Amino acid sequence: MGKMGEGFRAYKAHMEAVRQRHYGMLMWGMAGALLAVTILSFGIGYYPLSPGQVISAFLSRFGYQGEILPQAVTVFWSIRLPRILSAVFIGASLAAAGATYQGMFRNPLVSPDILGVSSGAGLGAAFAILYGASNWGIQLAAFAGGVSAVAASYVISRKSTHSHTLSLVLTGSMIMSLCNAGITMIKYVADPNDVLQQITFWLMGSLTKTDMNAFGFSFLPMLAGLSVLLIFRWRINLLTLEEEEAKSLGINVRRYRLMFIGASTLLSAAAVCLGGLIGWVGLMIPHMARALVGADYGRLIPASAMLGAGYLVLMDDIARSLLSMELPIGVVTSILGAPFFIYLIVKRKER
Amino acid sequence: MLLELHQVCGGYGSGDVVKDVSCHADGGDVLCLVGPNGRGKTTLFRLILGSLSLSSGSIRIDGRDSKQLTPREMANLVAYIPQYHRPIFAYSVLDIVMMGRASHFSSFETPKAADREAAFAALEKVNALHLADWKYTALSGGQRQLILIARAICQSARVFVMDEPAANLDYANHQLLMEVVKELAGKGYCIVMSTHSPEHPFSVGSKALLMKEGRVAGFGSPRQIITPESLEEVYGMEMDVVTIGDRYGVKRTICLPVKAPGDIRSVYAAKEREQWEV
Repeated sequence: MGKMGEGFRAYKAHMEAVRQRHYGMLMWGMAGALLAVTILSFGIGYYPLSPGQVISAFLSRFGYQGEILPQAVTVFWSIRLPRILSAVFIGASLAAAGATYQGMFRNPLVSPDILGVSSGAGLGAAFAILYGASNWGIQLAAFAGGVSAVAASYVISRKSTHSHTLSLVLTGSMIMSLCNAGITMIKYVADPNDVLQQITFWLMGSLTKTDMNAFGFSFLPMLAGLSVLLIFRWRINLLTLEEEEAKSLGINVRRYRLMFIGASTLLSAAAVCLGGLIGWVGLMIPHMARALVGADYGRLIPASAMLGAGYLVLMDDIARSLLSMELPIGVVTSILGAPFFIYLIVKRKER
Repeated sequence: MLLELHQVCGGYGSGDVVKDVSCHADGGDVLCLVGPNGRGKTTLFRLILGSLSLSSGSIRIDGRDSKQLTPREMANLVAYIPQYHRPIFAYSVLDIVMMGRASHFSSFETPKAADREAAFAALEKVNALHLADWKYTALSGGQRQLILIARAICQSARVFVMDEPAANLDYANHQLLMEVVKELAGKGYCIVMSTHSPEHPFSVGSKALLMKEGRVAGFGSPRQIITPESLEEVYGMEMDVVTIGDRYGVKRTICLPVKAPGDIRSVYAAKEREQWEV
């Protein structure tokens, strides 16, 4: 190749370094935007707070002695804080889990519920509500239901002779419909004046009832799941290849797949048991992230998590401020998500 | 010897598909697996790559028993270049090549500058540096094959297993790829490729392995192995192997299916009658 070739390679390497820097800046930009949206959201709601009030309410816990309404302090610490924290973590969890599932199943139209986690959680919650469990009990049952649904899908799929991902999807949809049948059955027998309403409300997805205790329950599994996905994020790339090919690159495909399914399941189950069924975030956010930072999971996972968090915080702002009464956030994300999905399908057809 | 197969048997649950295969190849060799489809070529590849375990026999790679190699060590010796490759997501070419580095850094890390450097070097080796920032999904089949070869180089493997590399390529790209394969062998890599065309070994191969029903029907230099008799045995049709000089006086060997003159329909009719009578 000679000198010319060396020069060309150096030029290409330089261009790549520039691109890397550009992506790095984009990441910081996203982090900054997320932070800004989060802070601004403290002021929005049925009881609006001015930026000054937000700051003094925040400082009141740290010995700030200035003039501040006690209601503002309560709204900030007991209502807005758990709610916004929940929105941040649910959004990040659903988006990161969605991105991982899409890669693992080699299908861009997959969402985190593919293995039945949401339906399982719904069934668990419906059961707990039917038996009059406490909020804490409902949350625990939802979490357990979600995790067991995925575990069942995984175990059954291992018995199949089909390709592993295909049988996972098949058993996943089977488990999903089984759980949905269970939910319908419970709704059918539930007392329509009290229990049925509660179940329906839970299934709609809402952040209205989140408090620090509920957030605390889901926080650990979310943290664990996000850590696993963030630490091993580059390896998810390899799972988007054919199994044989991925193996030939020197990795244990089954072990990674199990680990990523485990982490994504923790994330989606914890998200569902905290906020109910909030659809579309896990499907559409990874696509937006891909458009911004490319397909490489090294960047995609952090980008998805930040975008998902920001998106859900914004959606929750809309849910609590658009009308005089609160909208369920699941409804808001669906209304905005469905057209996006149609757009995706149409765009894919064109290609 | 980089690759040695000794009486290799293996297959899927119901029984051995590959039976008693022995062959060997070293750096600089292009070993062509020739035989009809569905006759154990892909299974043999899976056995070499270790994604299917042997039921008996042994495979030695660079002098080491392949059963004793960890997946990581295996990846640093043998690379797999799949036939047709269409990733779901729009990775950049550099992303794809860099996946070859998976066995070079720990699971906790993402690729470093050194890995990018290696990827560029590999792309340069196959003269595809200009494609580095393209979307892989936008490339032609031939270009994709080149990129996968670059990934194999980047993996720092020395044995390349190529599953019918020419199958989905148009004529010109096919010729181009064969040139690349020859060049790689010249650089000391050991290439094992399957092909359904019996004349391939003459143009690129230094060794040919003729397979019939999972067994070796011949192993050695193409000139010894690919003969009208052996081809008729393997493919079940009459073939001529002829050597001609091209316009530059270079000797080329080609395989031609032939048929005794006569009405083709009457030949088929005779065959059918034969079947009915049996």
